[in-house]
Amino acid sequence: MQNRPVIIAVGRTRFGEHYEKEPERLIEEAWLNASEEAKIERKDLEAGYFSDYFLPITNKLGLEEGFLSELTELHVPMEVTRSFSSALMNACNAVQAGRSNMVLVGGMEKMTDRWDKIRDDLMLLEDPWSYYAGCTPEANHELMLRAYVKKYGITGESLEKLNVALAQISVKNHLNAMKNEYAQYRRKITVDQVLNARKSVKRPLGLYDFAPISDGATALILADEETAKKFTDDPVYILGSSSATDYLTFSARDCLTNFLVSEIAMKNALKTAGIELWDIQILELYDQSTLMEMISLEDLGFCERGKAWMHVYESCQDYKGYYQIDGRKLFVNVNGGLKADGNPLGATGGAQIYEVFKQLKGKAGERQVKADGELKYGCVLELEGFGTKGYVHILGRD
Amino acid sequence: MSSEPIERRVSYMGDRLRGRRCLLCGKEYFEIRDYCGRCGRKSFGKMADIDLFYDKGVLEVCTLVNNPTNKFTKLGSYIYGVVSFHDGKIRVPGRLTDRLIRDDEEVDLSAFEGRAVVPRFRRRYSVDKADVIPTISLAFTFADEHYPHQEYIITKPNKEYNAPGIVGYGFYTSRFRIREGKMVRSVPYIDEDAITAAVEAGKMALIHSGVDSTLVGKVYVGSESNPYAVKPIASKVAQVLKLGEEDGDVQGVDAVDTEFACKAATSMFKDAAALVSYPRSDIQYAMVIGADNSQAAPRNSPGGELDLFVGYGGCAYIFGRHDVIAEMEGWYSCTSDTPDFWRRDGQPYPMHGGRFTGDPAYFKHIRKAAKKLMEKLNLKTEDVSYFVAHQPNVRFPSRIARELGFKEEQYLPSLQVAKFGNTYSGSSPVGLAAVLDVAKPDERILIVSYGSGAGSDAYSFITTSQILDKRRRQKLTVKYQAENPFLEYVDYTTYRRLKAGM
Repeated sequence: MQNRPVIIAVGRTRFGEHYEKEPERLIEEAWLNASEEAKIERKDLEAGYFSDYFLPITNKLGLEEGFLSELTELHVPMEVTRSFSSALMNACNAVQAGRSNMVLVGGMEKMTDRWDKIRDDLMLLEDPWSYYAGCTPEANHELMLRAYVKKYGITGESLEKLNVALAQISVKNHLNAMKNEYAQYRRKITVDQVLNARKSVKRPLGLYDFAPISDGATALILADEETAKKFTDDPVYILGSSSATDYLTFSARDCLTNFLVSEIAMKNALKTAGIELWDIQILELYDQSTLMEMISLEDLGFCERGKAWMHVYESCQDYKGYYQIDGRKLFVNVNGGLKADGNPLGATGGAQIYEVFKQLKGKAGERQVKADGELKYGCVLELEGFGTKGYVHILGRD
Repeated sequence: MSSEPIERRVSYMGDRLRGRRCLLCGKEYFEIRDYCGRCGRKSFGKMADIDLFYDKGVLEVCTLVNNPTNKFTKLGSYIYGVVSFHDGKIRVPGRLTDRLIRDDEEVDLSAFEGRAVVPRFRRRYSVDKADVIPTISLAFTFADEHYPHQEYIITKPNKEYNAPGIVGYGFYTSRFRIREGKMVRSVPYIDEDAITAAVEAGKMALIHSGVDSTLVGKVYVGSESNPYAVKPIASKVAQVLKLGEEDGDVQGVDAVDTEFACKAATSMFKDAAALVSYPRSDIQYAMVIGADNSQAAPRNSPGGELDLFVGYGGCAYIFGRHDVIAEMEGWYSCTSDTPDFWRRDGQPYPMHGGRFTGDPAYFKHIRKAAKKLMEKLNLKTEDVSYFVAHQPNVRFPSRIARELGFKEEQYLPSLQVAKFGNTYSGSSPVGLAAVLDVAKPDERILIVSYGSGAGSDAYSFITTSQILDKRRRQKLTVKYQAENPFLEYVDYTTYRRLKAGM
């Protein structure tokens, strides 16, 4: 990547229910967090790239840019897209093109304000025909799991292991979140709890397999290499930024057992970054469900197709804080993932970037991972909808 | 809140499961698109219409939904999955319908996957009572259960008959029943209503007759439980069944609803027969459907006595002059203004004139119509092979049959009320269907309907040899639907819940 964009600072709120706060209080908190860290003034910002999925619905806020202008007293160019990754990608484009030297990227979501209707709202991320046929936000995850099990002929003991492996993903993410002061769920759960939750609803995936409904906001400040030098001696670059798009209609896709977008976005991101897959030591995956984390390990190329569950299962028998895949360490969702950190859609990607940034900086506190050798590269996968869009960002240090 | 234009587009495509196939590469779309995404510009004008309405699919994978989104909560738990057609060339989302899943039930998803399914036309989800009712055929049932897959094979009109008559027919009812004493009654599934029953019955009549749906020039739907006060059932039937020649997104067919309590459909038999006989009408076939989700107030409330008898179902007849299975020999109708049963606009349930309902209403009109027609055709009871009367209960049709001098073997084959309940507009038509299911050629059938308000239509039909030829195309006979092993019996509370619908 030429003229590599640099992340100068990151900020976020706690994820969870913020019933006492308007969305602007949340994004303000995240922005102040980031700006204080880097000693940046509002007037330094030349543009704003924001993300939210549902504010027009949940909080009757249309034209969010105007609302953010009122909040920041800024009259610079601003754009709102859905996911944090898409906002970040636009910000990268602006910085690389030389249009802006320093921009704010922010994401926010306020889902609990419409608690009784939010699952209906989430169906906006599926195609209308699935909705008309009775789909739910959880159903496609379960269908993909069924299709996966069938495709790879997983039965008997193997099937049991796969189901346990998925439970372990949730357990592992909850464990990781214990050390994350911003996480929505900072409590341990057990494999039995995950399995029993599935049993009680008689479905392939249960309460503990799915990320929660959350409020929250995240922010980061992005600058071009030259500008960044004034703020940091140890820059974290965005080395690769890529996205791909697939059919909205899950049932119409050629393959029901993976996310094509993740595969394509990863390939392109690696190419731009000029690094090899296994240069990446730390990975934030988009675990809207435990299945998504497992499938993503395959989509990104870390595990062979049909086999990710085996690596998860083996790694979690005696979990040391990372997945062990063919003798290599891979730290996955050390912040607790969407499952335990929380999933305020438009802000979620920001928390993923936040984590990788902090880890690469060596400032993740008690979460700091112990990589073999120097921790240089990290990767974030964010999806929009059920694999309709996929974004990969590769972060790295010199 | 609803959007009528969206509703129009969704139901236009979704009720019939319309799509397109690229003639260049063969890719199929569940979407009406003008070009193929793969082939691009060169495929313009080379996209063929397809629809999955009469097809059989496979449920590839599925899951249990027991936490539906808000508009689906009345369905309770259901199975949702991916259904493929044409060896996987096209895949659509779908839910299984006609399946009550109890909270304590163990659900084995693998027992469902890989099985053949048939699309069913149903209500889509709940909406406000004032809104347009959303429908869709992305509801499915297993082909090896209650509702077998039936191919729709169009046959060219062959023999022309002197008199117009019945060319094909279909009877549809749900697989749910309530049993109280000797009486068994049909109960709609929660996503069914008079509209869905009318479409199903019409679909089966087309399959049975082999009539090309584009040659049906008129459709009448008689019902007293149309969920709309204003908006015809017939327009839905015409569009879903593609009646008349299709031009753009409009069907070249006249469609109209009729209402006269339980004789709303039979009244139109003669109109249909006349229409196909009128040389300048240019109409080869006319369809008459009687369908009802028969309404009754809850027990122990005014009008609640009907709650012991009401059923659910629809019956469709196609009239024409070609390949007739039963020629219409003659008819007689009579009417008087008798308030024995009524439902005021805006009221959910009908009222019932108590003792007024028997002698001064039902018996007087049926007796008059039957006698007049027999006189007119110079018939004695022994000239009639089968007698069919409107059947609000078992007692009334039996009594009038005996009074008119018919023997059990003449009237019992038509007596279906104890198996399905009173299907209102579909009541005497079901009796006729049961007889047509078993009749031999050259037999005379006398049917006399009754509609409160009040009036009766009497018809005499004489069967032809074609009744036997077409019978093999009728899988869902009346007997099959009364006795098939997949019937499910529900308790009173469930019956009221299902009947109330989405």
